[in-house]
Amino acid sequence: MSITETRVSRPPVAPARAAVSPKTQSPPPRDLQRTFQLVLATVWLLDAVLQLQPLMFTPGSNGLSGMMRGVASGNPSWVADTIRWNASLVAHHPVSTNTPFALIQFLIGFGIVSKRTLKPALGLSIVWALGVWWFGEGSGGVFLGGATPFGGGPGGVLFYAVLAVLLWPREGSDKPFVAARAVGVKAAKAIWVAVWALLALLAVVGSGRSPQALHDLVARMDSGQPGWLARIDLSSASFFLHHGTAAAIVLAVVSLIAAAGIFLPAPITQATLVLAIAVFAVIWVAVQNFGGILAGGATDPNSGPLVILLALTYWPLANNRATASDVAMAPAFAVQER
Amino acid sequence: MTTTPSWLYSLFGLIMLGVAAYSLVLLVSSVATRRPLGWDVDVSHLFMGLSMAGMFVAKWAFGASNVWELIFSVLLIWFLVRSLQSIQRWGRHLPHFLIHALMSFAMLLMYRFPMAASTGALSMSTRGSRLDPGLSFVLAFVLFASAIFTLASPNKGASHHGTHAPALAMSARAGSEMAGSRSGEEITPVAGVERLLATPRLEDASHVVMCVAMGFMLILML
Repeated sequence: MSITETRVSRPPVAPARAAVSPKTQSPPPRDLQRTFQLVLATVWLLDAVLQLQPLMFTPGSNGLSGMMRGVASGNPSWVADTIRWNASLVAHHPVSTNTPFALIQFLIGFGIVSKRTLKPALGLSIVWALGVWWFGEGSGGVFLGGATPFGGGPGGVLFYAVLAVLLWPREGSDKPFVAARAVGVKAAKAIWVAVWALLALLAVVGSGRSPQALHDLVARMDSGQPGWLARIDLSSASFFLHHGTAAAIVLAVVSLIAAAGIFLPAPITQATLVLAIAVFAVIWVAVQNFGGILAGGATDPNSGPLVILLALTYWPLANNRATASDVAMAPAFAVQER
Repeated sequence: MTTTPSWLYSLFGLIMLGVAAYSLVLLVSSVATRRPLGWDVDVSHLFMGLSMAGMFVAKWAFGASNVWELIFSVLLIWFLVRSLQSIQRWGRHLPHFLIHALMSFAMLLMYRFPMAASTGALSMSTRGSRLDPGLSFVLAFVLFASAIFTLASPNKGASHHGTHAPALAMSARAGSEMAGSRSGEEITPVAGVERLLATPRLEDASHVVMCVAMGFMLILML
């Protein structure tokens, strides 16, 4: 039994091509909130695969449990004990604990892709992010006084949770920016101010303003990095040693400008967002070293790209139309969505 | 000393063999039915599946590295040319062939800069120089993004045929009449296996799996 199919031949005449040119054939641009959700899903997929690295399955101090024990030290005992308990569990059963860790992140990443599983996946991502923040990042060093935003403070993984809240699916393309769609304009602005005020505070409290501590933060990352990044690290570490306090104050000021910028006219808001994005892009490369991914053994890209994604969700939309064409960041491989 | 459970590599190796087998069936079906579009992607997935299975599981590896390098160089050039042709034909856009060119490029790099046996894939040996981790990371991230955006795309099958190709409508699920009317194509009878296997969702799934596995391999090379 046979069925029919088409066999494609060359279009008979040239005008036929013009008639179906991409411009005339393109469906409406992808919803911008959806695009951001998919970018977030991509980061979760990256995290899931990072979780499959050999180091994560390695028992003992050289593996994931060793990393966990490392973040426990210095924390108050009631925090450190819970981290050590979890690290001990992972140390004894590296495969049977790390495999579900990776699977959960695969679930989140692929769950965000399907509109049917989007909400459960985002909900799971919030719970998982909070768990990782506590057990995997040692509460981001908040209780240590060392949660500088240069190093990802208050914990890179917290930004996954914030983004999950702000990208919660909801209709409303008439909102002035994407983040407002999920929680409303006032709540979204309140979250924005809270995040950036916290970043400003963390930049100048505790060891965050100490030149030596900032120098050590970069120097610690240096091991195993490719040559070009190690050279950048040398410059960053030297810069922090000489201007660490000034850098911390500048970061705090930039954070406060970003916090205030959301209340200003759109062009000024855009300028402050560009400033915040540029600063965190530099921090991500020159200080966070892409989250340590290039050296192998990292579990996530740290806060840099997530802060940038967060800033993009506050980008003022032209004519209040939330479409991918409003922000020129839709990935090249993105297929237009109807 | 780092350790990865061997079942993980075996699992990825098996999945790669599955993609290769699926691509082979599609390819045979394409030849038998003279299906003109997507066969080059099937060929590339076939080679990528076979070679990556050998990277994940040492004893499944076959063929000299130089031969694989030649194959992926040819595929890289092929998809770059196809990308240019697509731009010439459809105007300024990002052709879907680019992601296949990038995948071929990634495969080429994996052979040019094989990783140390202790760090990841079991079958590769150290040849000396190391691929820049920055490039590995960027390639892996693009592949993950391609996987996610392919799954989310309403244009099912676009990973094989692109968004412009009328062959999107060629699968059993799509309307062949629409495709024919759009660019003057013939309609010919084909076997039932085509309808069973050449569904756009399966084609996309094979692309997604390939992207994730290749991204994993690139992450192992860090």
